[in-house]
Amino acid sequence: MEAVLSLLEEVAAQPLDYARRWKQETGKRVIGLFPMHFPGELAHAAGALPIIIQEDDKPITVGQSNVFNFYCGYNRSVIDQALRGEFEVLDAILFGDHCVQLLGTADVIRANVPEMPILFNQLCSTLDASWAMSETQGTFRQLWRELEALVGRPIGEDEVRASIRLFNRNRGLMRRLYDMRRRGQIALTARQMQAIVKSSMVMDKTQHTALLEKLIAQAENRPRRDVVRVFLSGHMCHAPKPAILDLVEECGGIVVDDDLYTGYRYIFADIDEAGPPVDAFSNWYLTRNRQVPCPTRAMKGMDWEDYLLNAVGKADAQGMIILMVKFCEPHMYFYPEIKEAFERNGVPLLMLETEHEEMPLEALKTRIETFMEIAKRRAVAA
Amino acid sequence: MLQVVERPSASPVFGNGEKANRLRSTKFGGRLVNDYWDSLFRAKEEGKKVIWYNGTYIPPFFHAHDVAWVHGEAWSAYLAAKHGELPAQKAGEQRGYDRELCSYARTHIGQALIDLDKLKDGTLGIDADDPRAETMRKLPPPDMIINAYPYCSSGQQWDDITYRLFGKKVPMFTVQIPLLWGGRPDAGYLRGEEWNERSTYVTNQLIEMTKFMEEHTGRKYDFDRLSEVMGYVKKAAQLRIEAMDLCTATPSPASFFDWIVSIAPVNFLPGDQNLVTYFEGVKAEIQDRIANGEGAVKDEKYRLFFDGMMNWNKVGWLADKFAAVNACVVAGRYTHMSFWQEPELIDLKSPVRGMAQNYLICPNNHGAPIMIGEIEKICDKFGVDGMIMHASRTCRGMSNSQFLIAESAKRNGRQALFFEGDVADESFYKDELLNTRLEAMIESMDAQRRAA
Repeated sequence: MEAVLSLLEEVAAQPLDYARRWKQETGKRVIGLFPMHFPGELAHAAGALPIIIQEDDKPITVGQSNVFNFYCGYNRSVIDQALRGEFEVLDAILFGDHCVQLLGTADVIRANVPEMPILFNQLCSTLDASWAMSETQGTFRQLWRELEALVGRPIGEDEVRASIRLFNRNRGLMRRLYDMRRRGQIALTARQMQAIVKSSMVMDKTQHTALLEKLIAQAENRPRRDVVRVFLSGHMCHAPKPAILDLVEECGGIVVDDDLYTGYRYIFADIDEAGPPVDAFSNWYLTRNRQVPCPTRAMKGMDWEDYLLNAVGKADAQGMIILMVKFCEPHMYFYPEIKEAFERNGVPLLMLETEHEEMPLEALKTRIETFMEIAKRRAVAA
Repeated sequence: MLQVVERPSASPVFGNGEKANRLRSTKFGGRLVNDYWDSLFRAKEEGKKVIWYNGTYIPPFFHAHDVAWVHGEAWSAYLAAKHGELPAQKAGEQRGYDRELCSYARTHIGQALIDLDKLKDGTLGIDADDPRAETMRKLPPPDMIINAYPYCSSGQQWDDITYRLFGKKVPMFTVQIPLLWGGRPDAGYLRGEEWNERSTYVTNQLIEMTKFMEEHTGRKYDFDRLSEVMGYVKKAAQLRIEAMDLCTATPSPASFFDWIVSIAPVNFLPGDQNLVTYFEGVKAEIQDRIANGEGAVKDEKYRLFFDGMMNWNKVGWLADKFAAVNACVVAGRYTHMSFWQEPELIDLKSPVRGMAQNYLICPNNHGAPIMIGEIEKICDKFGVDGMIMHASRTCRGMSNSQFLIAESAKRNGRQALFFEGDVADESFYKDELLNTRLEAMIESMDAQRRAA
């Protein structure tokens, strides 16, 4: 297990290094994708390696010239990487999200890396509108055409279906790992689980899938310990720093589940393998919110706080830690309702604001330790 | 946004102490705004349905259907004008809304939280008999919520929260106005495949919006009435642009700050003869000033462009600050690119598509290359020497691309300065920083002229 995890952790730590090696070995294109709700299958079917563009751990330097410090760490880091020339490995960027900060970032990249094609067509964000399906189908068709123009050849439906099958298999295996983690059937730390998902956002899917199969075959049960079972929520576009995940577990917790983007949010939904791919992508996109709500999408009848309370219960977690990215507006809008719902239901909750820059881990430690104490007492009292 | 917050003027120790020579004709707008709010506060008594909306200037659709409307941004500004924004923002913060959230939204949501029970409890730190509380109590609750934000994802989320605050029971409709990214080979200002597709998409949604109103009022939508309302709006928009164009004169007879206080009529006031009368008055005063050689700023030496959302707490303050260094802010992105900027697109026989197109060309809703191209055209037209970049802390829709705009200005031989502030949260504004930067900019412009 350790050898597989070590490989995945290495890719997760340096995703662009992996992409460069892959490109050198295969001679094929690498296409960057922005989060949050965007399928990589189409780019894969076009013969490219789709990678979700990640925040890196370098301080923001040259990027300061093009982004204000009141933007989220992900956007500032992406701009900084672009200006440092890190995206030279990318042959194009594809995305469809409407986050206002991300739209600004895309424009900065377009201005500073003018040779980089950026294929953007905005996805419908009102998921329950009567026109949502036809509009979303149109958006995916347009992206398909633009991608064909980029690669200079038609992309066949069968090729796309094959990519969908491969991605589904990959997601399914990760969901199995999630299930095993909930049941204590695999000894995975939160850092390791993040590496598994993050590396899947970057690696060649066939290679990653083979490693997942090996990992599951080698799974070892987690030894029972007197720890607080914790659910993590938030970080909807990029991975929280592993040091924070370590801190949660060093303070007497064990992460049993999450709705993080570099986590369950990335893997929870499969795409239909049988029908026309444009319809399959559209269905996948429009129904995602019914499974794991996202505050950036408008859909009546879906409550993130209800989902979270339910998910915490299903995972038998004793409390939830929210990792809120500083300056992430959608999360800031919905946080008060989550907080109130958890208070009403007596479920311990801790909110930690995270930043791109180094955070005072000692101060966080005190807060997390207090949270663990509260969670333990509540569990005893229950 | 349209209501001006009158606060103390710029410090007399700054510059030469001159004040802005603001247009007198805009006072009529103040009366229209007050009439609008008074009529809104009576809406329920008069049996009208009330729509709360956010985003672009869709009130002609409401006016034509005889419903009352509340613009969230304007309401936040109204509270600010009555010095009521702080209790509203405090109420929002008490519930856990972070101060880095859009301050329009925080003010609006905070206000919604201030209901009578809480006021009676005194839990919001404001007495029930406080006049500010009285103002807040007047706002009629929504019968419908409509969201129509170009570009800004935060705007959609803001209305989601409003919907939730009212118990998820008020019917809500969202119009999606997608970004014109401008990535296809034929992309350009008002042209290309993307422009045509998006125009149709937004038009269709606006038609759906009228059906939504029909459903919740039980009355048929009258498109002839919409054409009639749009007749006034189109005429007012034409007059406004003609009057703006007259300000290419030197000295400029009006400034950006006069246009700022003239936004209400083209943003949310009812589309009737008053709009036309307002801009006829403004245009006539501008023509008089040109005839008399009277400028908006005494001894105009520099002409500037204001980029970014307005700092609504500082309208008078900033107008005087620039006047005190003989600088006239002659144009701005918010005033000169954002409201009914292409009235000729509106066919009064069938106005919806032209309205959709005007909503789409909100400058932020263009990808940066096209937007910056349009800014450059305005700067050339008005003979701009320098750019004032207001980095509005909680309005990312406006602060996006500002570094690119500044770069473009420098390439075109224009100075640029940045200052930080906000749309409705005064605490982000640092006066001394702007003073220092403005003085430095003036010196640079002088040096540039001496070297020329």
